[in-house]
Amino acid sequence: MLARLRQPWSDQRAERTLGALAVVVLLTIALMLTFVAIRAWPAFQHNGLHWFGAQGDVDQQISAMVNTGANPSPEDYQFGAWPLIWATILTTGIAVVVGLGFALLSAIFIVEFSPLALRRLLVTVVRLLAAVPSVVYGLVGILVLAPFIGDHLISAERRKSVEFVIQLSGPGLLVSVVVLTVMITPIMIAIIVEALHAVPRSWREGAVALGVNRWRAMWTVSVRVARPAILAGAVLACARALGEAIMLSMASGGKGFAPNPADGLTFAFEPLRPLAATIVENVESLNAPAIRANVYAMSLVLLVSTFTLSLGAWMAKRSMRRYGVAG
Amino acid sequence: MSRRTRAAIAAACAAALAAVSLPSHAAAASKPTITASGSTSVAPLAFQLARGYLRQHPGRVKFKIAQGGSDVGVADVGAGRVSIGMSSRDPKPSDPSGLVFNKIARDAVCVITNPANPIANLSTAQIQAIFSGSVRDWSQVPGAGVAGTINIITRTPASGTQDAFQKIFMGTKTVGSTASAKASNGLVQQAVKDDRNAVGYVSLDFVSGTHAAAFNGVACDLRNAKSGAYGGVRNFWMVTRGPATGPVRTFINWIQNSSRAQSIVGTHWVPLK
Amino acid sequence: MATLGLRAPRRSRHESLSSWRIRDRIGLALCWLAGLTLCAVAGAIVLYMAVRGVQFLRPELLFTAPQATLDQSKSGGFLDPIIGTLLLTVIGIAIATPLGVCTAVWMVEYGRPRWLARMVETGIEVVAGTPDIVIAIFGLALFQQGIFSWLSFTSADGAVFGRSFLTAGAAMSLIALPMVFGATREALEAMPRQLREASYALGKTQAATIRSVLVPAARPSISTGAVLGMGRIVGDTAVVVVLLGASLRVDPTGAIPGVDVLRGTGGTLTSYVYNNSPAGEGGAPEKAYAAAFVLLLIVLALNASVELISRRAGGGVLGLGRS
Repeated sequence: MLARLRQPWSDQRAERTLGALAVVVLLTIALMLTFVAIRAWPAFQHNGLHWFGAQGDVDQQISAMVNTGANPSPEDYQFGAWPLIWATILTTGIAVVVGLGFALLSAIFIVEFSPLALRRLLVTVVRLLAAVPSVVYGLVGILVLAPFIGDHLISAERRKSVEFVIQLSGPGLLVSVVVLTVMITPIMIAIIVEALHAVPRSWREGAVALGVNRWRAMWTVSVRVARPAILAGAVLACARALGEAIMLSMASGGKGFAPNPADGLTFAFEPLRPLAATIVENVESLNAPAIRANVYAMSLVLLVSTFTLSLGAWMAKRSMRRYGVAG
Repeated sequence: MSRRTRAAIAAACAAALAAVSLPSHAAAASKPTITASGSTSVAPLAFQLARGYLRQHPGRVKFKIAQGGSDVGVADVGAGRVSIGMSSRDPKPSDPSGLVFNKIARDAVCVITNPANPIANLSTAQIQAIFSGSVRDWSQVPGAGVAGTINIITRTPASGTQDAFQKIFMGTKTVGSTASAKASNGLVQQAVKDDRNAVGYVSLDFVSGTHAAAFNGVACDLRNAKSGAYGGVRNFWMVTRGPATGPVRTFINWIQNSSRAQSIVGTHWVPLK
Repeated sequence: MATLGLRAPRRSRHESLSSWRIRDRIGLALCWLAGLTLCAVAGAIVLYMAVRGVQFLRPELLFTAPQATLDQSKSGGFLDPIIGTLLLTVIGIAIATPLGVCTAVWMVEYGRPRWLARMVETGIEVVAGTPDIVIAIFGLALFQQGIFSWLSFTSADGAVFGRSFLTAGAAMSLIALPMVFGATREALEAMPRQLREASYALGKTQAATIRSVLVPAARPSISTGAVLGMGRIVGDTAVVVVLLGASLRVDPTGAIPGVDVLRGTGGTLTSYVYNNSPAGEGGAPEKAYAAAFVLLLIVLALNASVELISRRAGGGVLGLGRS
């Protein structure tokens, strides 16, 4: 049989075999989506669209579901995921926006203005940081950053002002956003640096020949041309931030609370718990049907969000394709 | 890559796999296997007991112990995936039917505060008032070393420790909604260590770095737990589907009756006898 | 605007800032600020982990198996987690690479019917963006079904445990697949058409061209993609915690040597760090730091090999999974 395999394959056979493998991959992915959707259905069936709204204290609902066990009644499925969704939007949104700005400026610095000796070192270090596992970031976040913020940045008066609603201690919005930003920025920097490198030199030299200074040449020519890659990097970082579960379950506040921007500076210290972190914390109880449906519903929301993100990026990239270079 | 290189790499992989598996395989042959999964609090004890059992009766059985949480253990044994489920919480009405809970040890749960706040003693009423949120400031608690808002640290709903705390300390009152829920004993310990105003509860092994308050006048340590003076003690169970049979029954009987097992339990936990 | 005068427009390194507008000067200042902050933060993280790692890492930790004692800070090392990491990475990449390469080849070279190709591409993008915890819970539910009983331990009643190196490796391959796929596809698309046409002109079929011309030429990119995928596998915690059973030591199942390790449970460096951090029950942050340091060294080695491979291939480093 081996001898038969080693004989040259006909085109048709090769195409069919490779196509079959590709279809296997596609079927596995489709299986995953269907599976998650089916298991998530009871949650939406019993809650309707109210699942996305706020229906009371999320933690109490979860603990009620855990205690119900194997035979829940329809009321037991009640769940309003808004505090978790809002926490996800906050952490991901702030981290990506801040990270993108910082990454863009750093990438420009690395490509254009940094001393030559520093350049190689920076690129290597950025690549290394992009590959550090999230559990290491979580370790540093919870052992170093959270105590620091708890001790030095949160005053007793601030704690007293909210004591009837929540507690303020180190882990919270600020720690989560800081560690998340540090986690996703290196990816964006690496992608943007490569895209900026891929811009043809002649384009920039043309701008400089017209008397434009280096900063403007960089900004108006290279960055504009690299926009598709910047967008791709932002989407990649956003997907990573959305899916970040382990680090956030260690370093965010452990309370399903929706931080309120109207609280002023206290807003930065309020505890929260994004969707992925909630999934990780409830993996233990997946055997109780009520909590299983809701955990899969949360997974479905995450899947749909990342899919919508890539779809949006694809549409935006198409409009940028006129001047695009990379991505 | 030439064929010889490929063959060499394949041989190296096979050798590596064999090297990893042979030492354990050599003794494995066709011994009955006792599988266990469940509570991360009971697992260290289960590991020790398995080792002690194998030392006393070598070659009789093989153990496979995994972790995942009390609920996972109960569900796994209910579905027949493992022969023993380890649980650190008492049986709940929502558990699968037909399970038998065999008590193997007891464990003390301590109420802890930050070392800057060394409260000497807390009564049941005080603990209930603090954790339910009726008392919100340390200035209202006699013996407190700090002033300011009380930060309550509790565990996530699936935790066996949380279940024990609710039953033994809180009774009918529930933990207040402002409490911050942590997913493990270690996270509670870390949170209390880092925050001067924090109060929480952990298993006895996790009090280092914090101050353990006495409960109703009795200090929280192993000696008081063993003597029965300390009230905040919870059960560790090994759950089986139906009454235990065969090698599992021998193992559990050994744990519950042999002096060797009891001395292993006595190192950090409270023996039954 | 700078006056050129009669001098040749040479862009000197010391171009005068005074000719720049305020906005540009602010931009330049922000760039320097960002760059220096990056250096500071990156340096702080690397130094902190290095200091902590060196402080707590002792050579015997690398070669001792973990002990199941309560006081983790005094006992045992992490040999089994290291073996677990290596084993899992090998399994994951061994499944992901052939699948990824074949799928990419099919898509670039054949890709008929068009709707199927687009669906495959979308599917792989979905997987690339899926959180690893979702893949983990899907894997657990899937591999606990009866048909997959050969992948892990099965009890006497026929209930499948579902957690083993093989199941975790299969889930990991799903995580590494987009990287291999993306790298291969980019390499194949970047190859000039003349290469293929020359091969056809010599009388080779399309299948033979793929096998003997295109795939060997794409090998550096495939290796880059594979190493990137390995990096992602090495760093993943959620799949390991859910699908590997979290036993302290490598715990074989069954009677066939070799296969029993694959069907057994174990741990990896990431789950070891997680369990010894405050999030787990190990309570030994020193061991967590030491294991994290070893993990970082492995990641550093993987990164260095990416650079080496791409440099040997003559430049053109492919991105971090750019789609």
